Amino acid sequence: MSPAVINEAPPSEKKLSLYEASTQCRNWRYSTERLAQIRATLNEAAVTIIRTKIETDEPGSSRNVSFLTPNEEVLLVKLYISKIGQLCGYFRFPEEVEATAITYMKRFYLQNTVMDWHPKNVMLTALFLATKTTNNPISLEQYTTHIPKTTPNDVLDLEFLIAQSLGFEFAVWHAHRALWGIWLDIQNLPDGAALASAEYDAALARVRASRLTDAELIYTPSQIALAAFSLVAPDSAARWITLKNLSESATLLAVLDEIKSMIAHQGLPPDVESVREVDRRLKLCKNPEKVVGSKAYLARKKEEERIAEEKRTKKAELQKAAVNDEQDPFGTNLAPKKGLVDYDDDDDDD
Amino acid sequence: MSLRPGVGGWLQGKTVRKGGGLSTSNTRSSTPQGVQSTSSTIFGGGVKDASGRTSEYFVRRRHSMDDQCPVCKSDRYLNPKLRLLVSSCYHKMCESCIDRLFTLGPAPCPICSKILRKLAFTPQTFEDLSVEKEVAVRRRIAKEFNKRRDDFPDLRAYNDYLEEVEDITFNLINEVDMPQTEARIAAYRAENAALIELNIQREEAYAQTLREQEDAEKRDREQRATQLRREEEEEREEREKDKREIIDKLETSDKNAAKLIAKSRANALKRTSARVASTTTVVHSNARLLRTRAAKDIPDVPHVPFKDNYYGYEDLYQLRPAGYEDFFSEAVRKDREGIMRAGGYRIEEAWDRALRDAVADLDLPPLMGLAPKTTSTMDSSGDVIMAEA
Repeated sequence: MSPAVINEAPPSEKKLSLYEASTQCRNWRYSTERLAQIRATLNEAAVTIIRTKIETDEPGSSRNVSFLTPNEEVLLVKLYISKIGQLCGYFRFPEEVEATAITYMKRFYLQNTVMDWHPKNVMLTALFLATKTTNNPISLEQYTTHIPKTTPNDVLDLEFLIAQSLGFEFAVWHAHRALWGIWLDIQNLPDGAALASAEYDAALARVRASRLTDAELIYTPSQIALAAFSLVAPDSAARWITLKNLSESATLLAVLDEIKSMIAHQGLPPDVESVREVDRRLKLCKNPEKVVGSKAYLARKKEEERIAEEKRTKKAELQKAAVNDEQDPFGTNLAPKKGLVDYDDDDDDD
Repeated sequence: MSLRPGVGGWLQGKTVRKGGGLSTSNTRSSTPQGVQSTSSTIFGGGVKDASGRTSEYFVRRRHSMDDQCPVCKSDRYLNPKLRLLVSSCYHKMCESCIDRLFTLGPAPCPICSKILRKLAFTPQTFEDLSVEKEVAVRRRIAKEFNKRRDDFPDLRAYNDYLEEVEDITFNLINEVDMPQTEARIAAYRAENAALIELNIQREEAYAQTLREQEDAEKRDREQRATQLRREEEEEREEREKDKREIIDKLETSDKNAAKLIAKSRANALKRTSARVASTTTVVHSNARLLRTRAAKDIPDVPHVPFKDNYYGYEDLYQLRPAGYEDFFSEAVRKDREGIMRAGGYRIEEAWDRALRDAVADLDLPPLMGLAPKTTSTMDSSGDVIMAEA
């Protein structure tokens, strides 16, 4: 499209920008307050359900269990998000896979809680799903053999659940691509020379740090990229903003400051020791239906088996009825061979 | 051919004389044995297909022992010349049964008691007799129900007509309401006699033009082939002549031998190029003919590009025509063999996307407060997930 096409549009009808039309903007953009609210609600609901489960299992035992708080859940997820980067380095996946997998993780835990689905498994599946959605496929066997204590089923079991939680919206706008664009466009500045690749790498490191925060759920990828860039090269960033006629924009400047502080304060991988504490407690407060060997797990298995058995018997009965309608499942007897000559069989194979 | 009567006769499908030079292994040949018929009558005039693409159905040799006449129960073991023919009521029987039953005039079919005549027996084309019947019925129907799309005011009427035809055909094939169906056909025939006749004529005219076209093309091809042969002949003669001339000249004149040869070579080259030019004009004219035909039939509708209502930030960035200094895409840009660009990858598109992303909604204010978004569908899907978990 050329600018001339824009002029043709009727003035009354405002065009929808591409980002605002994306699912990322429509369905996965929140305010800070809303994020906290969603997490609190999810946590509360999960705690209520699990508490009743534990009570039915062993009455009175839930009093000793200390459930995770929303913040602890976020901390745990954050730890596994930082693990995605390591895995991607090991498999030599491109940046896009890593960023997509991380986004999937975050979105998944806005629909589900850590107490239902442990982030370790979710991380593996999210990464595998991301390799496929970003067109960097890897075979499942190759993927699981390189990760200790993982079978193909561990990865596949959660795949549909995750895809469903994402609302099957796999396309993600990434900040690192926007950063590349800014870095290219810097060369368009009046005295613009290409920046050294070291500066680009430093900015990319900030973008990576932003992935550990909630930034991408609140701000647009271009804002995050610009914030990361201005952390590294404030002068170039300021001149670029002027070039784009946005130096007057109060919203942009305010947003940039917010993102910068977010990257600075939350952009570090969590302390492993504190997370280990959380993980230890999670073992006790996990949804018992999902802990192999527990009473609730067995009860649920039994229930599932009962339903499956019911289905099977129903099917068998249906088949039986169908067979009874006809007399013989193998058809009626063949008519005896008629003919004068029946000794010609030996002559058949000439 | 006439020197070897036995073999020639077999090749032409005539009766093989006993002891005519053929080994005994050929007496049970897998070619249709209608030619060795035991009957004196030639039934049905063979398979009704002018193009010669269909042939009489004949059970393959492997199964031939199972071939049995349903009337006299004799099979190929007893009678190697067994040939089964199909009656007008679609029952099979062998030629000797037909001779035995129907020589004295029309008689009832031994299976269904329909009155049959000897000449109404036809050879079998398909293994499945119901297919045989369907083909015959359809052939009969197509002869009379030959209206075209142009004969109807609209598509709906034409479709109704087609459905009616299919209805009648179905009834005939499955023998449902035979009297009514026959009455329907008769009524149709009476109503549309003129149109049927007209369409038959049209059909014939069309077939005629097709035949003529084919003939013309064939003639054309033959002509071209003869011309080509003649030209080759001429060329060869000329080459011979040239050779002889060169030798003569070399003998008689005292000029430089190399110069003489070069001169005659140049002459020969000129002649060939002239001939090539004349043949290419012929090919060109043919191609032009084809093109005019195509142009006449297909109207060229101008392409209307799809116009969406999205804003792609075109005014916020501009791709530098000179390209960028970009260590990312260095490998792609310096890839001389184009291996990385083989799938149609263009670095300009990657740049364009990156630049677009860089300026996309830079000044979009973040959401505030707790109000759920109006456009969001997430809450509902979130509920679904939670209910399942």
